[in-house]
Amino acid sequence: MTDEDKFGLDDLLEDAQGTLPTMPEPTPPPSEAEFMGETGVVTGKARMEAAYGTGEGEGQGTAIVAQSVTADAGTIFHQIYRPWRGKLNPRWVRNWSILRHHVYGLFSGKGHRPWPITTKLIVLIVLFGSLLPILSMAMSTLTGVEVLKELYGVSRANLWGHVLGVFHNTCCWPLLTALVVGGLISEDRQHGTSAIYFSRPITRTDYTLMKYISAALILSMVIVFSYCAYYAAAILLNNEGWAYLLDTIPFFLGGLVAAVMLVVTFTSIGLGLSSISSGRFFPAVAFMGIIYGSRILAFLIQLLFERDTLYLISPYDNLAHVGQWMMGLNTTYDFPAAWSFVALLLMNGISLYILISRVNSLEVTRE
Amino acid sequence: MRWSPPTIRRIDGVIAISDEWIVETQDLVKKYGEHVALDSVNLSIRPGATGLLGPNGAGKSTLLKTILGLIALTSGGGKVLGHDIATEGAKIRQRIGYMPEYDCLIPDMVAIHQVRYSGELLGMNSNSAIQRAHEVLEYVGLRDQRYRPVSTFSTGMEQATKLACSLIHDPDLLICDEPTNGLDATARGFMLDTLFQVVKQGGRSIIMSSHLMDDVERICDRMLMIHKGQVIAQGRIEDLKAIDREIEISVWGGASRIEEKLKDMGQSVRRTGRVMRITRIDESTYGTIIKAAAETQVQIRKMEDYEPSLEDLFIVIMDRLGYSVKSSKDLLGGPTPTMDHAALEGRKVA
Repeated sequence: MTDEDKFGLDDLLEDAQGTLPTMPEPTPPPSEAEFMGETGVVTGKARMEAAYGTGEGEGQGTAIVAQSVTADAGTIFHQIYRPWRGKLNPRWVRNWSILRHHVYGLFSGKGHRPWPITTKLIVLIVLFGSLLPILSMAMSTLTGVEVLKELYGVSRANLWGHVLGVFHNTCCWPLLTALVVGGLISEDRQHGTSAIYFSRPITRTDYTLMKYISAALILSMVIVFSYCAYYAAAILLNNEGWAYLLDTIPFFLGGLVAAVMLVVTFTSIGLGLSSISSGRFFPAVAFMGIIYGSRILAFLIQLLFERDTLYLISPYDNLAHVGQWMMGLNTTYDFPAAWSFVALLLMNGISLYILISRVNSLEVTRE
Repeated sequence: MRWSPPTIRRIDGVIAISDEWIVETQDLVKKYGEHVALDSVNLSIRPGATGLLGPNGAGKSTLLKTILGLIALTSGGGKVLGHDIATEGAKIRQRIGYMPEYDCLIPDMVAIHQVRYSGELLGMNSNSAIQRAHEVLEYVGLRDQRYRPVSTFSTGMEQATKLACSLIHDPDLLICDEPTNGLDATARGFMLDTLFQVVKQGGRSIIMSSHLMDDVERICDRMLMIHKGQVIAQGRIEDLKAIDREIEISVWGGASRIEEKLKDMGQSVRRTGRVMRITRIDESTYGTIIKAAAETQVQIRKMEDYEPSLEDLFIVIMDRLGYSVKSSKDLLGGPTPTMDHAALEGRKVA
């Protein structure tokens, strides 16, 4: 090997430089104004994340750090105020939105009032439970067993019992009302949501009315609907004719009015309690306490002193008494049904007074 | 110019805001039993950004409720955006976006639907409300977070959601009650930038109630100060700062001597070591200081006008009024020497 054939590391490097293409100098990414007159590369995403800590709580194992100024990728955040040229609708549209928010929320939590799953479940269970007599009636029709027909067929006592029976009014309706009505206003007070309503063109009358109608509608969907379904099913399953209708319509209507009165009374008392509370627990417990407590107290007094006048303090017994009178049943109370009716009016009046006065105290600026 | 006048817009063909005032009240009185919450309040708020300042219990909340048309006044009256406070509350609230200080969000709702629902409560139809909710949530920096429940939000994100709720219908006037409450420095900066953009870019007006003077100074060019239910100062912040105009000097060799001399010459002096601030009465104050320095053989090494912060101004006014203020005339009659023309122009006395 001659000296000319020898080569060193420098030669190799020179050769390599000669063959490799020249890499262009890296150019800085174009700068773009973000807002507030600040210039530079826009890393709005990093800025938002820095501002609001968006990485928190999402289970990420790595910390989110501000992006490099020279980064050439990322979401560009332009803060541009866009005006809105739409038209605001009148009062009934606003009220409809409140109603829909509450009622639709029971069926779909997406975008509407987030009812607790337990409430949804209880509503469903009570609804199915109150529709069970239809199933029993279908079985009696199919089997032709007379005893079943007597037990589950439509009669004054059975229609009364469907709405005002002791079982339904011990295990179903009070629990249903407590869960549905309990948090309707108290949670607005608890979370300050009343400010969202009253800083908008929603009057306190509209607010109270829509809450009331929402609660009454949900209760009616179970109580009144199941009552009507029960009656309709009896006609269809037994293939009844006009004579049957003429015979049964009067006491069916009496029961319907009693059902509506029950819904109204329970809603008034429940919302009244909800309006004086913060959170759904107290109104729910207090409502059940009033319904059960007044009955138990009146029952004990009757046992001890053989006087049943104290049943006038029990909302359920007043409803049951008026219901018996309206449906033409023998009353089980010693005092006139008119007393119970007046007691019901008083209970509703007091509850509505509390409701209205407490809704007036809901604040926009501070609770 | 920081503010461009809002254009005439929608709302049932009703005239839009006057170029002069967005809020104007005359002898507004609100009493809760014996307690006077607002006492003969005469307000004139121009379009733009206005800061609402006052100590706790001053009547800020009552004033905000009055502007929203929510309370029945004891006497007096006024107009907000051209609508009567006493009779047209609903119309006023259709054109105002209110951002409360305290929690007002439904915890288990996702942000987008929370904002949509607040739009529906104003009368927007569902489609418009959801479309606009996307826009405003993006505007307040929550584009990627809009499908998260509000209960999982940080305080900054909750504040931003509240702002989005108040902006959904593109209000003419935005009322923000302590918008930076509980925010850290970064989120606070973002919130203030956003509010500033609403005024600057959107051409909307803001009334911002805050305890943080820096926030007010950063966003607002005007301010309104109330104390014990009375308006004690209102106008341009720059003009109002003239109430507390001082000259700051640094001296060498005999600071005590010149301090004494200046006090003898009837000047109000505050001293910290070799630096002292002398209340500026008028142009002649400079001459008085130089004369005092010459007579006491003291060197003045630096002399400049001291630029007070809004906090300084607030403290001065509150110190002067104390707790026994009966009228804002107390402010005028206080120990501060005569204000110059600019300050007087900038302040309207109740």
